[in-house]
Amino acid sequence: MNFNDAVTKSIKNFMDGKMPKNLTEVTDGEIMYTPEYFDGFAESLKEDPAPEEEEDEDEI
Amino acid sequence: MRFEAPIPGANLVADTRNYPWHRPPDLTDYDEAVAYMIDRITQEEQAELLYSLLEIKTPVTAIVSGLLMQAIAKGKFQIDLAILIAGPVARYIQIWADDEEYNYEMGINNPDRIRMTPTLLKVALGIIDDDAPEQEAMPAAMPAGGLMGAPEDPVEGQASEDEQAAMLGMMADEPVEEEQPDGPLA
Repeated sequence: MNFNDAVTKSIKNFMDGKMPKNLTEVTDGEIMYTPEYFDGFAESLKEDPAPEEEEDEDEI
Repeated sequence: MRFEAPIPGANLVADTRNYPWHRPPDLTDYDEAVAYMIDRITQEEQAELLYSLLEIKTPVTAIVSGLLMQAIAKGKFQIDLAILIAGPVARYIQIWADDEEYNYEMGINNPDRIRMTPTLLKVALGIIDDDAPEQEAMPAAMPAGGLMGAPEDPVEGQASEDEQAAMLGMMADEPVEEEQPDGPLA
């Protein structure tokens, strides 16, 4: 398995909601960037879309 | 003979500590490494590059792989941590592409999936391919007659036992007429 294959496998596992078991043990379970975090981040983006910049009337 | 080749053992005396990936990495924490990559992606130059790569249908896995390679080459983190943070980085790019309404490709193939091919589809739908070369049809009747023709009736064409014995020289009972020499030497 080369680097690209390992990266692809890692991405696939993360997308399936799996986290490395030993990683959570090493960090005492305090991980910020988990699949749940990104799911919440995606939902927050959908709920609060970035406001569009208002055109300045003077420029027109 | 190559004279430009390195001297045997040169690798043992070369100073390789100047390579960034041979020094201790800058980041060893998972969250710090992910935050570093997200911060890098959101920079203007990297964001433009990311836009362009997604536009030309580059798979997200290939983009992540390239970004991680760059960070490894700079000595930011080691390869094993890079593989660990590949998932979060790809997920962030996916969310970002969704938010920008990009038509992107993840590049994750399921090895268990049966790949659909034109041949498989034709078999599944029962479609007979007209373009396929047909097998050579057997002639309705074998050519008869002539030296190389097949016998019309195999039973009739089969030699009798006497004929077979004669052909094999087993008819010892028949007297063999010896040719009498003619001429002045007789």
